[in-house]
Amino acid sequence: MIKLSQIKKSYGRQEVLHGIDLTVGKGDVVAILGPSGSGKTTLLRCINYLERPSDGEITIDGFTVHCKRPTKADIHHLRKKSAMVFQQYNLFRHKTALENVMEGLVVVHKLPKEQARLRSVELLEKVGLGDKLDAYPSQLSGGQQQRVGIARALALGPKVILFDEPTSSLDPELVGEVLSVIRKIAKEGITMIIVTHEMSFAQDVASHVVFMDNGTIVEQGKPSELFQSPKEERTKQFLKRFAPESAYSI
Amino acid sequence: MKLDLSFIWTALLQLLTAIPTTLAVTGVSVVCGLAIGTVVALIRINRVPVLNAAAAAYVTFIRGTPMLTHLLLVYFGLPFVIDAICESFGWPFRSVSIPMIGFAYIAFSITAGAYLSEVVRSGLLAVDKGQIEAAYSVGMTTSQAIRRIVFPQAFAILLPNLSNSTISMLHGSTLVFTVSVVDINAKSQIIASSNWKFFEAYIAAAVLYWGLTFLIERVTAMAEKRFQMYNRGGVS
Ligand SMILES: Nc1ncnc2c1ncn2[C@@H]1O[C@H](COP(=O)(O)OP(=O)(O)OP(=O)(O)O)[C@@H](O)[C@H]1O
Ligand SMILES: [Mg+2]
Repeated sequence: MIKLSQIKKSYGRQEVLHGIDLTVGKGDVVAILGPSGSGKTTLLRCINYLERPSDGEITIDGFTVHCKRPTKADIHHLRKKSAMVFQQYNLFRHKTALENVMEGLVVVHKLPKEQARLRSVELLEKVGLGDKLDAYPSQLSGGQQQRVGIARALALGPKVILFDEPTSSLDPELVGEVLSVIRKIAKEGITMIIVTHEMSFAQDVASHVVFMDNGTIVEQGKPSELFQSPKEERTKQFLKRFAPESAYSI
Repeated sequence: MKLDLSFIWTALLQLLTAIPTTLAVTGVSVVCGLAIGTVVALIRINRVPVLNAAAAAYVTFIRGTPMLTHLLLVYFGLPFVIDAICESFGWPFRSVSIPMIGFAYIAFSITAGAYLSEVVRSGLLAVDKGQIEAAYSVGMTTSQAIRRIVFPQAFAILLPNLSNSTISMLHGSTLVFTVSVVDINAKSQIIASSNWKFFEAYIAAAVLYWGLTFLIERVTAMAEKRFQMYNRGGVS
């Protein structure tokens, strides 16, 4: 379904991804963990081509882009297969919640306005914002904005939704509402890749966990395996830091 | 000397006929300047090879020279260029058939283009990078993202500066008298000298310019309200 092979990315002379290989099956929920600066965001952005990998291949849903010399059309086509939920929400600031969700449907998918509206209202209701259709992002709380962001991503019917620390800019009391929405859509079988620091969330939502450090994948596997019996020393150390915390969480 | 109050009114009424000329010169230069400025700003932000250097040179040259000089250069220089081109192609067109006001339109559009390119550029740069990334991530092309997401937000941001530039161009448009175009200012000179009532005529002109400036400010304020509606609230 999604296959990354030998993805490399350099900023100037510094290589920050050293050849990432990752396969994600249909309906998988992949959690990417790792210390700060390990390249999690960069990897996610490469999949959405917001960052241009220096080398490697990205395949989503049978469409392959060779990252050495992609054409504009390749990039555009690949981007349409994924949708991103940003750490900073990045809602279109001059558009209401409803317009944010409709935008891609109308402009990219060329859906008639009325149809796009119905679908968008439905999605906003699903994320619990049926009463905020006409609110601008500046009138919404962080948690509400992020839920609009999720609805916007869902609207496009992407093959995979990419989440970059979707709750890390939120006040603690707002984290729950966003996580429960993600949990809900995970149950619907939508393929997702989530970068997160919420260990307990990763543990119970993910079907597959990837641990990254220093621009490489150190270890991956089922959450039960990786959390209970990590093989690599670096994974153990990383998880140990979170161990006391997980005692308090649900 | 006594101030003839009633003549101020008379002069004001006569000046009304010159308003369209002033508005045309200001309007054309701002609209064309905005178009030129947008292209120049996009070239400079995207560092388009070759064009970027040309755009930078254009902006520094125009901003480094007076508006009157632009008008004179265009007025005395452009006919040579046009006639030479038309002659070499064998076209019957000659520069004498260009109306005087045409030179004002061209010169002031060039002036406004340089100033407005900086206004547009700062507006575009003030739009959060995350906005265009979000546009890409929903599958938009670069031009869709710029038109639908970046421009509307940049426009809301640059409105106050655009308003200032428009007011500058309105006041600068008084220079057209040097190429014999009769705008409010030129007309007030004519009225003044033919009636020997200078102060009264110029007071009338001042009142009109003030009124027009006030109008521009009001329109901007309304537009700002309309375009920046989304900034209300203030969570986040
Ligand atoms: N635009 C950039 N220019 C130069 N270096 C960058 C850029 N973006 C990221 N990097 C570097 O790439 C590396 C990986 O960064 P990345 O943001 O992917 O890490 P991360 O795993 O997402 O970290 P965090 O958990 O803090 O979000 C870091 O060393 C970072 O300094
Ligand atoms: Mg990150």
